[in-house]
Amino acid sequence: MPENMIDQIRENVIQGRVSSDDEGMEEGMAGQPGVTELVEQALESGVPIRDIVSKGLSGGMDIVGKKFEAGEYFIPDMLASAEAVGAAMDILQPRLAKSGIKTKGTVIVATVKDDLHDIGKNIVTILLRGAGYVVKDLGNNIDTQVIVDAVRDEKPEFLGLSALLTSTMARMEDVIRSLEENGLREQGKIIIGGAPVSDEFARSIGADGYGADGFQAVAVVEALTAEET
Amino acid sequence: MLVIGENINASNSKVAEAIANRDEEFLAHLAKAQASAGANVIDVNAGSGHGSLERAIADGKWLIQVVQAAVDKPLAIDSDSAEVIKAVLKEYTGERPLINSITAEPERLESIAPVVAEREASVVALAMGAEGIPPKVEDRLAACERIMEHLAGLDIEPKRVLFDPLVLPIAVDTSQGMVTLRTIEEIRSRYPDAGVVMGLSNISYGLPKRKLVNRAFLLMAAYAGLDAVIVDPLDTKAMSLIKVADMLTGKDPSCRAYLRAHRKGDIVD
Repeated sequence: MPENMIDQIRENVIQGRVSSDDEGMEEGMAGQPGVTELVEQALESGVPIRDIVSKGLSGGMDIVGKKFEAGEYFIPDMLASAEAVGAAMDILQPRLAKSGIKTKGTVIVATVKDDLHDIGKNIVTILLRGAGYVVKDLGNNIDTQVIVDAVRDEKPEFLGLSALLTSTMARMEDVIRSLEENGLREQGKIIIGGAPVSDEFARSIGADGYGADGFQAVAVVEALTAEET
Repeated sequence: MLVIGENINASNSKVAEAIANRDEEFLAHLAKAQASAGANVIDVNAGSGHGSLERAIADGKWLIQVVQAAVDKPLAIDSDSAEVIKAVLKEYTGERPLINSITAEPERLESIAPVVAEREASVVALAMGAEGIPPKVEDRLAACERIMEHLAGLDIEPKRVLFDPLVLPIAVDTSQGMVTLRTIEEIRSRYPDAGVVMGLSNISYGLPKRKLVNRAFLLMAAYAGLDAVIVDPLDTKAMSLIKVADMLTGKDPSCRAYLRAHRKGDIVD
Protein backbone atom coordinates (compact mmCIF):
# COMPACT_ATOMS: atom_id res chain seq x y z
CA MET A 1 0.00 0.00 0.00
CA PRO A 2 2.71 2.59 0.86
CA GLU A 3 4.43 1.84 -2.45
CA ASN A 4 1.18 2.54 -4.22
CA MET A 5 0.84 5.91 -2.44
CA ILE A 6 4.35 6.91 -3.42
CA ASP A 7 3.61 5.94 -7.00
CA GLN A 8 0.54 8.16 -6.89
CA ILE A 9 2.53 11.10 -5.49
CA ARG A 10 5.13 10.67 -8.21
CA GLU A 11 2.48 10.43 -10.91
CA ASN A 12 0.78 13.61 -9.69
CA VAL A 13 4.08 15.50 -9.57
CA ILE A 14 4.51 14.52 -13.22
CA GLN A 15 0.96 15.68 -13.90
CA GLY A 16 1.72 18.97 -12.11
CA ARG A 17 -1.30 18.81 -9.78
CA VAL A 18 -1.04 20.65 -6.43
CA SER A 19 -4.54 19.74 -5.24
CA SER A 20 -7.72 17.95 -6.30
CA ASP A 21 -9.02 21.10 -8.04
CA ASP A 22 -6.21 21.04 -10.59
CA GLU A 23 -6.37 19.81 -14.13
CA GLY A 24 -3.48 17.53 -14.97
CA MET A 25 -1.31 17.34 -18.03
CA GLU A 26 -3.77 14.74 -19.23
CA GLU A 27 -7.50 15.32 -19.32
CA GLY A 28 -10.06 14.22 -16.77
CA MET A 29 -7.97 14.28 -13.59
CA ALA A 30 -9.73 17.11 -11.76
CA GLY A 31 -11.47 15.82 -8.62
CA GLN A 32 -8.89 13.15 -7.88
CA PRO A 33 -6.51 13.91 -5.00
CA GLY A 34 -3.46 16.02 -5.91
CA VAL A 35 0.07 16.00 -4.47
CA THR A 36 -0.79 17.89 -1.25
CA GLU A 37 -3.74 15.60 -0.38
CA LEU A 38 -1.72 12.51 -1.23
CA VAL A 39 1.20 13.64 0.94
CA GLU A 40 -1.17 14.22 3.89
CA GLN A 41 -2.66 10.75 3.37
CA ALA A 42 0.79 9.16 3.12
CA LEU A 43 1.89 10.82 6.38
CA GLU A 44 -1.25 9.54 8.14
CA SER A 45 -0.58 6.03 6.88
CA GLY A 46 2.94 6.22 8.26
CA VAL A 47 4.86 6.27 4.99
CA PRO A 48 8.42 7.42 5.86
CA ILE A 49 9.06 11.11 5.02
CA ARG A 50 12.36 10.15 3.43
CA ASP A 51 10.55 7.95 0.90
CA ILE A 52 7.92 10.60 0.16
CA VAL A 53 10.67 13.09 -0.65
CA SER A 54 13.17 10.93 -2.51
CA LYS A 55 10.95 8.41 -4.31
CA GLY A 56 7.77 10.45 -4.67
CA LEU A 57 8.69 14.12 -5.12
CA SER A 58 12.28 13.95 -6.40
CA GLY A 59 11.45 10.82 -8.39
CA GLY A 60 8.66 12.71 -10.13
CA MET A 61 10.82 15.77 -10.84
CA ASP A 62 13.54 13.55 -12.36
CA ILE A 63 11.02 12.31 -14.89
CA VAL A 64 9.74 15.87 -15.52
CA GLY A 65 13.34 16.92 -16.21
CA LYS A 66 13.77 14.11 -18.74
CA LYS A 67 10.50 15.03 -20.46
CA PHE A 68 11.63 18.68 -20.61
CA GLU A 69 14.98 17.73 -22.11
CA ALA A 70 13.22 15.55 -24.68
CA GLY A 71 11.05 18.49 -25.76
CA GLU A 72 7.87 16.75 -24.59
CA TYR A 73 7.34 19.17 -21.70
CA PHE A 74 7.46 22.97 -21.92
CA ILE A 75 8.20 25.61 -19.30
CA PRO A 76 4.59 25.87 -18.01
CA ASP A 77 4.51 22.05 -17.51
CA MET A 78 7.76 22.14 -15.58
CA LEU A 79 6.64 25.06 -13.41
CA ALA A 80 3.35 23.31 -12.55
CA SER A 81 5.27 20.22 -11.38
CA ALA A 82 7.74 22.31 -9.40
CA GLU A 83 4.84 24.14 -7.76
CA ALA A 84 3.31 20.82 -6.69
CA VAL A 85 6.62 19.75 -5.14
CA GLY A 86 6.99 23.14 -3.43
CA ALA A 87 3.51 22.82 -1.89
CA ALA A 88 4.35 19.31 -0.64
CA MET A 89 7.64 20.54 0.86
CA ASP A 90 5.73 23.25 2.77
CA ILE A 91 3.79 20.43 4.47
CA LEU A 92 6.87 18.29 5.05
CA GLN A 93 9.42 20.94 6.14
CA PRO A 94 8.32 21.25 9.82
CA ARG A 95 8.30 17.46 10.18
CA LEU A 96 11.67 17.14 8.48
CA ALA A 97 13.14 19.59 10.97
CA LYS A 98 11.56 17.72 13.91
CA SER A 99 12.76 14.32 12.78
CA GLY A 100 16.29 15.68 12.37
CA ILE A 101 16.51 14.98 8.64
CA LYS A 102 18.84 17.56 7.12
CA THR A 103 17.95 19.50 4.00
CA LYS A 104 20.30 19.06 1.09
CA GLY A 105 21.80 22.48 1.74
CA THR A 106 21.28 26.19 1.30
CA VAL A 107 21.67 28.02 -2.01
CA ILE A 108 21.88 31.80 -2.34
CA VAL A 109 20.91 33.06 -5.80
CA ALA A 110 21.19 36.53 -7.33
CA THR A 111 21.24 38.32 -10.67
CA VAL A 112 24.36 40.51 -10.68
CA LYS A 113 24.59 44.32 -10.52
CA ASP A 114 23.15 46.32 -13.46
CA ASP A 115 21.27 43.28 -14.78
CA LEU A 116 17.50 43.37 -14.30
CA HIS A 117 16.69 39.97 -15.78
CA ASP A 118 15.22 37.50 -13.35
CA ILE A 119 13.14 34.93 -15.23
CA GLY A 120 15.95 32.40 -15.58
CA LYS A 121 17.04 32.88 -11.99
CA ASN A 122 13.45 32.44 -10.78
CA ILE A 123 13.07 29.17 -12.69
CA VAL A 124 16.32 27.86 -11.19
CA THR A 125 15.06 28.91 -7.72
CA ILE A 126 11.78 27.01 -8.15
CA LEU A 127 13.54 23.89 -9.42
CA LEU A 128 16.15 23.91 -6.64
CA ARG A 129 13.37 24.19 -4.05
CA GLY A 130 11.63 21.34 -5.83
CA ALA A 131 14.81 19.30 -5.50
CA GLY A 132 14.88 19.83 -1.71
CA TYR A 133 17.31 22.73 -1.28
CA VAL A 134 16.65 25.78 0.87
CA VAL A 135 16.98 28.73 -1.51
CA LYS A 136 17.48 32.34 -0.56
CA ASP A 137 16.79 34.61 -3.55
CA LEU A 138 18.49 38.01 -3.20
CA GLY A 139 16.76 39.37 -6.34
CA ASN A 140 18.15 41.12 -9.41
CA ASN A 141 20.57 44.04 -9.88
CA ILE A 142 22.39 43.02 -6.68
CA ASP A 143 25.58 44.78 -5.59
CA THR A 144 28.66 42.60 -5.32
CA GLN A 145 29.03 43.68 -1.69
CA VAL A 146 25.48 42.58 -0.85
CA ILE A 147 26.20 39.13 -2.29
CA VAL A 148 29.48 38.88 -0.36
CA ASP A 149 27.72 39.92 2.87
CA ALA A 150 24.97 37.32 2.31
CA VAL A 151 27.59 34.58 1.82
CA ARG A 152 29.32 35.67 5.03
CA ASP A 153 26.08 35.77 7.05
CA GLU A 154 24.16 32.80 5.65
CA LYS A 155 27.09 30.44 5.03
CA PRO A 156 25.38 28.73 2.09
CA GLU A 157 26.68 25.52 0.51
CA PHE A 158 26.08 27.11 -2.92
CA LEU A 159 26.01 30.51 -4.55
CA GLY A 160 24.19 30.80 -7.90
CA LEU A 161 24.87 33.88 -10.07
CA SER A 162 22.85 34.89 -13.11
CA ALA A 163 23.46 37.43 -15.92
CA LEU A 164 21.67 37.82 -19.23
CA LEU A 165 23.83 40.56 -20.76
CA THR A 166 27.33 40.42 -22.19
CA SER A 167 27.90 43.74 -20.43
CA THR A 168 27.08 42.32 -16.97
CA MET A 169 28.57 38.83 -17.12
CA ALA A 170 31.91 40.32 -16.04
CA ARG A 171 30.30 41.13 -12.67
CA MET A 172 30.27 37.43 -11.90
CA GLU A 173 34.03 37.49 -11.89
CA ASP A 174 33.95 40.58 -9.62
CA VAL A 175 31.87 38.62 -7.11
CA ILE A 176 34.28 35.67 -7.13
CA ARG A 177 37.35 37.93 -6.73
CA SER A 178 35.62 39.80 -3.92
CA LEU A 179 34.79 36.53 -2.12
CA GLU A 180 38.45 35.53 -2.44
CA GLU A 181 39.64 38.86 -1.02
CA ASN A 182 37.31 38.40 1.93
CA GLY A 183 38.47 34.83 2.56
CA LEU A 184 35.02 33.48 1.69
CA ARG A 185 35.71 31.63 -1.56
CA GLU A 186 35.96 28.28 0.22
CA GLN A 187 32.63 28.82 1.99
CA GLY A 188 30.65 27.14 -0.79
CA LYS A 189 30.52 26.19 -4.45
CA ILE A 190 29.70 28.82 -7.06
CA ILE A 191 27.56 28.03 -10.08
CA ILE A 192 26.65 30.46 -12.85
CA GLY A 193 24.09 30.69 -15.64
CA GLY A 194 22.50 33.01 -18.20
CA ALA A 195 22.30 33.37 -21.97
CA PRO A 196 25.83 34.73 -22.66
CA VAL A 197 27.51 32.39 -20.16
CA SER A 198 29.25 29.14 -21.09
CA ASP A 199 31.10 26.29 -19.43
CA GLU A 200 34.32 27.78 -20.74
CA PHE A 201 33.51 31.19 -19.25
CA ALA A 202 32.67 29.52 -15.90
CA ARG A 203 36.08 27.88 -15.82
CA SER A 204 37.86 31.07 -16.88
CA ILE A 205 36.50 33.07 -13.94
CA GLY A 206 37.01 30.26 -11.42
CA ALA A 207 33.38 29.20 -10.86
CA ASP A 208 32.68 25.59 -9.89
CA GLY A 209 29.91 24.89 -12.37
CA TYR A 210 27.60 26.10 -15.13
CA GLY A 211 24.00 25.23 -15.94
CA ALA A 212 22.60 25.89 -19.43
CA ASP A 213 19.01 25.70 -18.16
CA GLY A 214 17.11 25.17 -14.90
CA PHE A 215 17.35 21.38 -14.87
CA GLN A 216 21.05 21.44 -15.71
CA ALA A 217 21.60 23.89 -12.87
CA VAL A 218 19.95 21.42 -10.47
CA ALA A 219 21.98 18.54 -11.94
CA VAL A 220 25.23 20.48 -11.43
CA VAL A 221 24.31 21.32 -7.82
CA GLU A 222 23.37 17.67 -7.16
CA ALA A 223 26.66 16.46 -8.65
CA LEU A 224 28.69 18.92 -6.55
CA THR A 225 26.71 17.90 -3.44
CA ALA A 226 27.51 14.24 -4.13
CA GLU A 227 31.21 15.09 -4.50
CA GLU A 228 31.23 16.72 -1.10
CA THR A 229 29.70 13.76 0.76
CA MET B 1 1.79 50.57 -37.94
CA LEU B 2 5.40 51.70 -37.90
CA VAL B 3 7.66 48.73 -38.60
CA ILE B 4 11.05 48.74 -36.90
CA GLY B 5 13.28 46.05 -38.40
CA GLU B 6 15.04 44.12 -35.64
CA ASN B 7 17.47 41.95 -37.59
CA ILE B 8 20.70 43.91 -37.17
CA ASN B 9 21.28 42.95 -33.56
CA ALA B 10 24.42 41.44 -32.10
CA SER B 11 22.35 39.06 -29.98
CA ASN B 12 21.99 37.14 -33.25
CA SER B 13 25.25 35.16 -33.52
CA LYS B 14 25.56 35.59 -37.31
CA VAL B 15 25.27 39.37 -36.94
CA ALA B 16 27.78 39.36 -34.06
CA GLU B 17 30.21 37.42 -36.23
CA ALA B 18 29.73 39.80 -39.16
CA ILE B 19 30.42 42.79 -36.88
CA ALA B 20 33.53 41.16 -35.45
CA ASN B 21 34.82 40.35 -38.97
CA ARG B 22 33.81 43.78 -40.32
CA ASP B 23 31.72 41.98 -42.95
CA GLU B 24 30.23 45.05 -44.59
CA GLU B 25 28.56 43.13 -47.41
CA PHE B 26 26.54 40.85 -45.11
CA LEU B 27 25.27 43.69 -42.95
CA ALA B 28 24.51 46.07 -45.84
CA HIS B 29 22.53 43.28 -47.47
CA LEU B 30 20.59 42.64 -44.26
CA ALA B 31 19.73 46.35 -44.02
CA LYS B 32 18.58 46.52 -47.65
CA ALA B 33 16.51 43.34 -47.37
CA GLN B 34 14.63 44.76 -44.38
CA ALA B 35 14.03 48.09 -46.10
CA SER B 36 12.64 46.45 -49.22
CA ALA B 37 10.45 44.15 -47.10
CA GLY B 38 8.72 47.22 -45.67
CA ALA B 39 10.67 48.27 -42.59
CA ASN B 40 10.16 51.99 -41.86
CA VAL B 41 13.04 52.17 -39.38
CA ILE B 42 16.11 49.91 -39.13
CA ASP B 43 17.23 49.10 -35.59
CA VAL B 44 21.01 48.92 -35.16
CA ASN B 45 22.47 47.14 -32.14
CA ALA B 46 26.20 46.37 -32.24
CA GLY B 47 26.29 44.60 -28.87
CA SER B 48 28.20 45.50 -25.77
CA GLY B 49 31.74 44.66 -26.89
CA HIS B 50 31.86 41.70 -24.45
CA GLY B 51 32.08 44.12 -21.58
CA SER B 52 34.66 46.45 -23.16
CA LEU B 53 33.22 49.94 -23.65
CA GLU B 54 35.94 50.91 -26.15
CA ARG B 55 35.11 47.93 -28.31
CA ALA B 56 31.35 48.53 -27.99
CA ILE B 57 31.83 52.11 -29.20
CA ALA B 58 34.14 51.11 -32.05
CA ASP B 59 31.71 48.39 -33.19
CA GLY B 60 28.73 50.73 -32.92
CA LYS B 61 30.37 53.52 -34.92
CA TRP B 62 31.48 51.18 -37.67
CA LEU B 63 28.08 49.49 -37.89
CA ILE B 64 26.06 52.72 -38.08
CA GLN B 65 28.24 53.92 -40.98
CA VAL B 66 27.71 50.67 -42.86
CA VAL B 67 23.93 50.69 -42.36
CA GLN B 68 23.35 54.35 -43.19
CA ALA B 69 25.40 53.97 -46.37
CA ALA B 70 23.24 50.99 -47.38
CA VAL B 71 19.71 52.30 -46.81
CA ASP B 72 17.86 55.58 -46.90
CA LYS B 73 15.75 54.93 -43.78
CA PRO B 74 15.80 56.40 -40.30
CA LEU B 75 17.86 54.28 -37.93
CA ALA B 76 17.25 53.30 -34.33
CA ILE B 77 20.40 53.54 -32.21
CA ASP B 78 19.99 50.58 -29.87
CA SER B 79 22.24 50.11 -26.84
CA ASP B 80 22.13 49.58 -23.07
CA SER B 81 24.90 52.11 -22.67
CA ALA B 82 24.51 55.90 -22.75
CA GLU B 83 28.18 56.24 -23.75
CA VAL B 84 27.68 53.99 -26.76
CA ILE B 85 24.52 55.86 -27.82
CA LYS B 86 26.29 59.23 -27.60
CA ALA B 87 29.33 58.05 -29.54
CA VAL B 88 27.30 56.32 -32.26
CA LEU B 89 24.99 59.33 -32.69
CA LYS B 90 28.02 61.46 -33.64
CA GLU B 91 28.48 59.23 -36.70
CA TYR B 92 24.80 59.32 -37.63
CA THR B 93 24.04 61.85 -40.37
CA GLY B 94 20.29 61.24 -40.68
CA GLU B 95 17.83 63.84 -39.43
CA ARG B 96 15.75 62.25 -36.73
CA PRO B 97 17.30 59.25 -35.08
CA LEU B 98 15.29 56.98 -32.82
CA ILE B 99 17.13 56.30 -29.59
CA ASN B 100 16.49 52.86 -28.14
CA SER B 101 16.06 53.18 -25.19
CA ILE B 102 15.51 54.97 -21.90
CA THR B 103 13.86 53.77 -18.69
CA ALA B 104 12.65 55.56 -15.56
CA GLU B 105 15.97 54.72 -13.93
CA PRO B 106 17.36 58.14 -12.88
CA GLU B 107 20.91 57.46 -14.17
CA ARG B 108 19.63 56.44 -17.57
CA LEU B 109 17.21 59.37 -17.78
CA GLU B 110 19.89 61.87 -16.83
CA SER B 111 22.47 60.49 -19.24
CA ILE B 112 20.31 59.81 -22.31
CA ALA B 113 17.46 62.37 -22.19
CA PRO B 114 19.77 65.37 -22.87
CA VAL B 115 21.02 63.60 -26.01
CA VAL B 116 17.44 63.10 -27.15
CA ALA B 117 16.80 66.81 -26.64
CA GLU B 118 19.97 67.94 -28.36
CA ARG B 119 19.52 65.79 -31.48
CA GLU B 120 15.73 66.32 -31.63
CA ALA B 121 15.55 62.57 -31.62
CA SER B 122 12.63 60.28 -30.92
CA VAL B 123 13.05 57.83 -28.08
CA VAL B 124 11.81 54.41 -27.03
CA ALA B 125 10.82 54.59 -23.35
CA LEU B 126 10.59 51.29 -21.49
CA ALA B 127 7.88 51.16 -18.81
CA MET B 128 10.30 50.13 -16.09
CA GLY B 129 12.62 51.59 -13.46
CA ALA B 130 15.71 50.39 -11.64
CA GLU B 131 13.91 47.36 -10.19
CA GLY B 132 13.39 45.56 -13.47
CA ILE B 133 10.14 44.93 -15.32
CA PRO B 134 7.23 45.57 -12.93
CA PRO B 135 4.73 42.69 -12.94
CA LYS B 136 1.80 45.08 -12.41
CA VAL B 137 0.11 47.61 -14.71
CA GLU B 138 0.14 50.47 -12.17
CA ASP B 139 3.88 50.19 -11.57
CA ARG B 140 4.59 50.24 -15.30
CA LEU B 141 2.41 53.37 -15.61
CA ALA B 142 4.24 55.00 -12.70
CA ALA B 143 7.50 54.47 -14.61
CA CYS B 144 5.93 56.07 -17.72
CA GLU B 145 4.88 59.04 -15.61
CA ARG B 146 8.40 59.56 -14.24
CA ILE B 147 9.82 59.41 -17.77
CA MET B 148 7.24 61.88 -19.14
CA GLU B 149 7.91 64.36 -16.34
CA HIS B 150 11.64 64.23 -16.94
CA LEU B 151 11.31 64.60 -20.72
CA ALA B 152 8.82 67.47 -20.37
CA GLY B 153 11.46 69.28 -18.29
CA LEU B 154 13.74 69.14 -21.35
CA ASP B 155 10.97 70.31 -23.72
CA ILE B 156 10.81 66.91 -25.42
CA GLU B 157 7.29 66.64 -26.84
CA PRO B 158 5.17 63.54 -26.17
CA LYS B 159 4.93 62.81 -29.89
CA ARG B 160 8.66 62.03 -29.88
CA VAL B 161 8.17 59.30 -27.30
CA LEU B 162 7.42 55.68 -28.16
CA PHE B 163 6.44 53.84 -25.00
CA ASP B 164 7.23 50.15 -24.75
CA PRO B 165 4.70 48.57 -22.33
CA LEU B 166 7.06 45.53 -22.03
CA VAL B 167 6.16 41.92 -22.38
CA LEU B 168 6.95 39.06 -20.01
CA PRO B 169 6.64 35.41 -21.06
CA ILE B 170 3.14 34.00 -20.79
CA ALA B 171 4.72 30.58 -20.07
CA VAL B 172 5.97 31.83 -16.72
CA ASP B 173 2.93 33.90 -15.68
CA THR B 174 -0.35 33.64 -17.55
CA SER B 175 -1.57 37.05 -16.31
CA GLN B 176 1.16 38.83 -18.30
CA GLY B 177 -0.66 38.99 -21.65
CA MET B 178 -3.43 41.09 -20.12
CA VAL B 179 -0.92 43.15 -18.09
CA THR B 180 0.76 44.27 -21.32
CA LEU B 181 -2.55 44.89 -23.11
CA ARG B 182 -3.98 46.97 -20.25
CA THR B 183 -0.72 48.94 -20.03
CA ILE B 184 -1.05 49.76 -23.74
CA GLU B 185 -4.66 50.95 -23.25
CA GLU B 186 -3.72 53.13 -20.29
CA ILE B 187 -0.71 54.70 -22.04
CA ARG B 188 -2.97 55.45 -25.02
CA SER B 189 -5.52 57.27 -22.88
CA ARG B 190 -3.01 59.12 -20.67
CA TYR B 191 -0.58 60.23 -23.39
CA PRO B 192 -2.63 60.38 -26.60
CA ASP B 193 0.20 62.07 -28.53
CA ALA B 194 2.84 59.49 -27.63
CA GLY B 195 3.26 56.23 -29.55
CA VAL B 196 3.29 52.68 -28.27
CA VAL B 197 5.85 50.16 -29.55
CA MET B 198 6.34 46.53 -28.66
CA GLY B 199 8.72 43.70 -29.44
CA LEU B 200 6.93 40.56 -30.51
CA SER B 201 9.06 37.66 -29.45
CA ASN B 202 9.12 37.79 -25.63
CA ILE B 203 5.50 36.72 -25.10
CA SER B 204 6.08 33.23 -26.50
CA TYR B 205 9.31 32.33 -24.66
CA GLY B 206 9.22 28.70 -23.50
CA LEU B 207 6.24 27.69 -25.66
CA PRO B 208 5.92 25.60 -28.83
CA LYS B 209 4.83 27.26 -32.13
CA ARG B 210 6.15 30.61 -30.97
CA LYS B 211 5.43 32.52 -34.18
CA LEU B 212 1.73 31.67 -33.97
CA VAL B 213 1.60 33.03 -30.41
CA ASN B 214 3.52 36.17 -31.42
CA ARG B 215 1.21 36.93 -34.33
CA ALA B 216 -1.96 36.45 -32.28
CA PHE B 217 -0.60 38.80 -29.63
CA LEU B 218 0.26 41.38 -32.30
CA LEU B 219 -3.41 41.54 -33.32
CA MET B 220 -4.60 41.90 -29.73
CA ALA B 221 -2.05 44.65 -29.09
CA ALA B 222 -3.14 46.44 -32.28
CA TYR B 223 -6.68 46.56 -30.88
CA ALA B 224 -5.38 47.88 -27.55
CA GLY B 225 -3.62 50.74 -29.36
CA LEU B 226 -0.19 49.58 -30.52
CA ASP B 227 1.19 51.73 -33.31
CA ALA B 228 4.73 50.51 -33.81
CA VAL B 229 6.28 47.07 -33.73
CA ILE B 230 9.84 45.77 -33.47
CA VAL B 231 9.79 42.76 -35.75
CA ASP B 232 11.63 40.69 -38.34
CA PRO B 233 10.43 42.35 -41.57
CA LEU B 234 11.50 39.26 -43.51
CA ASP B 235 8.73 37.28 -41.73
CA THR B 236 6.14 37.61 -44.50
CA LYS B 237 3.30 36.27 -42.36
CA ALA B 238 3.96 38.81 -39.61
CA MET B 239 4.19 41.60 -42.18
CA SER B 240 0.90 40.47 -43.73
CA LEU B 241 -0.77 40.54 -40.33
CA ILE B 242 0.52 44.05 -39.68
CA LYS B 243 -1.31 45.15 -42.85
CA VAL B 244 -4.42 43.28 -41.67
CA ALA B 245 -4.21 44.87 -38.22
CA ASP B 246 -4.00 48.38 -39.71
CA MET B 247 -7.01 47.62 -41.88
CA LEU B 248 -9.13 46.12 -39.10
CA THR B 249 -8.41 49.02 -36.72
CA GLY B 250 -9.49 51.62 -39.27
CA LYS B 251 -6.01 52.90 -40.12
CA ASP B 252 -6.11 51.87 -43.78
CA PRO B 253 -8.67 54.03 -45.65
CA SER B 254 -10.49 52.07 -48.38
CA CYS B 255 -8.22 49.11 -47.48
CA ARG B 256 -5.75 50.58 -49.99
CA ALA B 257 -2.52 49.43 -48.35
CA TYR B 258 -3.84 45.91 -47.80
CA LEU B 259 -5.05 45.56 -51.39
CA ARG B 260 -1.91 47.11 -52.82
CA ALA B 261 0.16 44.58 -50.88
CA HIS B 262 -2.11 41.80 -52.08
CA ARG B 263 -1.71 42.83 -55.74
CA LYS B 264 2.05 42.79 -55.28
CA GLY B 265 1.75 39.25 -53.90
CA ASP B 266 2.99 40.32 -50.46
CA ILE B 267 -0.01 39.09 -48.45
CA VAL B 268 0.56 35.55 -47.19
CA ASP B 269 -2.02 33.55 -45.24
